[in-house]
Amino acid sequence: MSASLKITNLVKKFGGLTATNDLSFTVEPGQSVGLIGPNGAGKTTVFSLVMGEHRQTSGSIMLDGEELSKMTTPARIRRGVSRTYQVPRPFAEMSVAENIRVGLMPDSVFGMILKGPNRDRELELAMAVGFSENDLDRTPAELSMGDLRKLEMARTMATDPKVMLLDEVFAGLTVAEIAMISGLVQKMRSDGMTFLIVSHDLKALEPLVDTAIAINYGSMVAQGSYGDVMSSEAVRASYLGEA
Amino acid sequence: MELRWYHFAAWAAFVVFMFLMPEMVSKGTLRIFIFANFLAVFAISWDVLSGRTGYVSFGHPFLIGIGAYTTAILTKRFDVPVELSIPIAVIVTMIAGLLVVLPALRIKGSYFALITLAYMELIYQLVQVIRPDLTGGTRGMSGLPTLTRGAVNGYYMSLTLMVIVAFCVWLLMRTRIGTALSAIGMNEEAVKGSGLSVTRLKLFAFLLSALIAGLGGAFYVHYLGSIAPRALFDINFVFTIIVAALIGGASTTIGPIIGAFFLTFLLEYLRPYLPGAERYFIYGGVALLLYMYQPKGIYEIINQGWSKVRARS
Repeated sequence: MSASLKITNLVKKFGGLTATNDLSFTVEPGQSVGLIGPNGAGKTTVFSLVMGEHRQTSGSIMLDGEELSKMTTPARIRRGVSRTYQVPRPFAEMSVAENIRVGLMPDSVFGMILKGPNRDRELELAMAVGFSENDLDRTPAELSMGDLRKLEMARTMATDPKVMLLDEVFAGLTVAEIAMISGLVQKMRSDGMTFLIVSHDLKALEPLVDTAIAINYGSMVAQGSYGDVMSSEAVRASYLGEA
Repeated sequence: MELRWYHFAAWAAFVVFMFLMPEMVSKGTLRIFIFANFLAVFAISWDVLSGRTGYVSFGHPFLIGIGAYTTAILTKRFDVPVELSIPIAVIVTMIAGLLVVLPALRIKGSYFALITLAYMELIYQLVQVIRPDLTGGTRGMSGLPTLTRGAVNGYYMSLTLMVIVAFCVWLLMRTRIGTALSAIGMNEEAVKGSGLSVTRLKLFAFLLSALIAGLGGAFYVHYLGSIAPRALFDINFVFTIIVAALIGGASTTIGPIIGAFFLTFLLEYLRPYLPGAERYFIYGGVALLLYMYQPKGIYEIINQGWSKVRARS
């Protein structure tokens, strides 16, 4: 269920802007790492590079020792890395069950045609993120932001990942919804899932991570235990500016 | 979506009703039905591609024309039997469909629509200029072998084709491939982010659409017994196909059939009052009003009405 994610000397340049600057870190199997930094630090770019949505200028991304750099996004997902997005991307006219179904589909046209949907698994995933059986027929227009994030989590989990990248998973959620998502992440951590989590809600992030990495302007500022990173002068400066 | 007995019962009732039609209506009305059946096939073909995946094609007659011209040339110029020329025409159309899929790998939206329109214009010019001895040039071809004679037989032939195409597409779209294609239309990036190869899915949609367009085009030309480039590669023909799918109900299989019948009969019933092109003004107005009232089309209006009836009972 878990895998390691190793990023080495990762560089991404958008024209003259260096979004990721020689970044290296490893997330060990079963570990949960928080990726923090101010707006524009390059956190989401790291996620996009890991998923192959952008191609890095140089550097390496390895999942359990296998180089991902040349793979397409679907191929990387099949290898076991999956992500959620800052802004949930539901299929607007599909029900909760159908949204999850897309994540469960095999990447084969004949597989999609010949085998029917796995309704038990759809229900299991929906319930794992806190939906009830009655919610399966609801459409995204009827869901709150918290429910949309739950749906995104369920669809991500449906791809059977070994490493999950959670991007601003608490944004726009109520206290109760944050507690629900935190509980889900904790449960998955205890099952051995590897996490890389981006969040501006540092209070909610703290109990979910083993270690933290702070970046700014695409470069690593600090790495270590959550407490050490948060008390680092460099991290404070990156958030608050130089005194 | 699960298949239930009443789905098949509804199909059976529809087929029986339609096959009894020659007993109930005049031969003139049957001829209108024939065109409605063919328009339904073309609208289903358009919907598989554009209604589902959101890649709006303005050049569908390109595919229909490839199928029609291939079988017309093979039978007229090379004496190939129709039984052989139609499958060849379908295969050639599917190969041509690959040409349409190429721009879809890089562009979408209005740019894709314009490129497909360019494909239609391109073939319109080509059939007139390149080898007119084969294509018949601007005049097209006549005296092609016909598959049936008379309105009743023509009706049964077109109905059988439409029912087979519609039923197969309906079955296919109820599997997970239908869900995946619709998902592309809603959010292509999220489909990719769910681990599915969007390129492969789009290729499937384009090939299936081309298969149906080629089949429809080939049968249509062997029903008419003639082919004329100006009628086939006409912007009004494109809009009729698109409007049929949209006002009937895009991204459904039944919707394009309803839309095709509605439009064909609307145009025909307007003919005595408005014999010229002004009929299209009324037809455009009706389509606009319907679309504004319910963007999901007539199918959704029927669906909602049925839900209300069920809720009351």
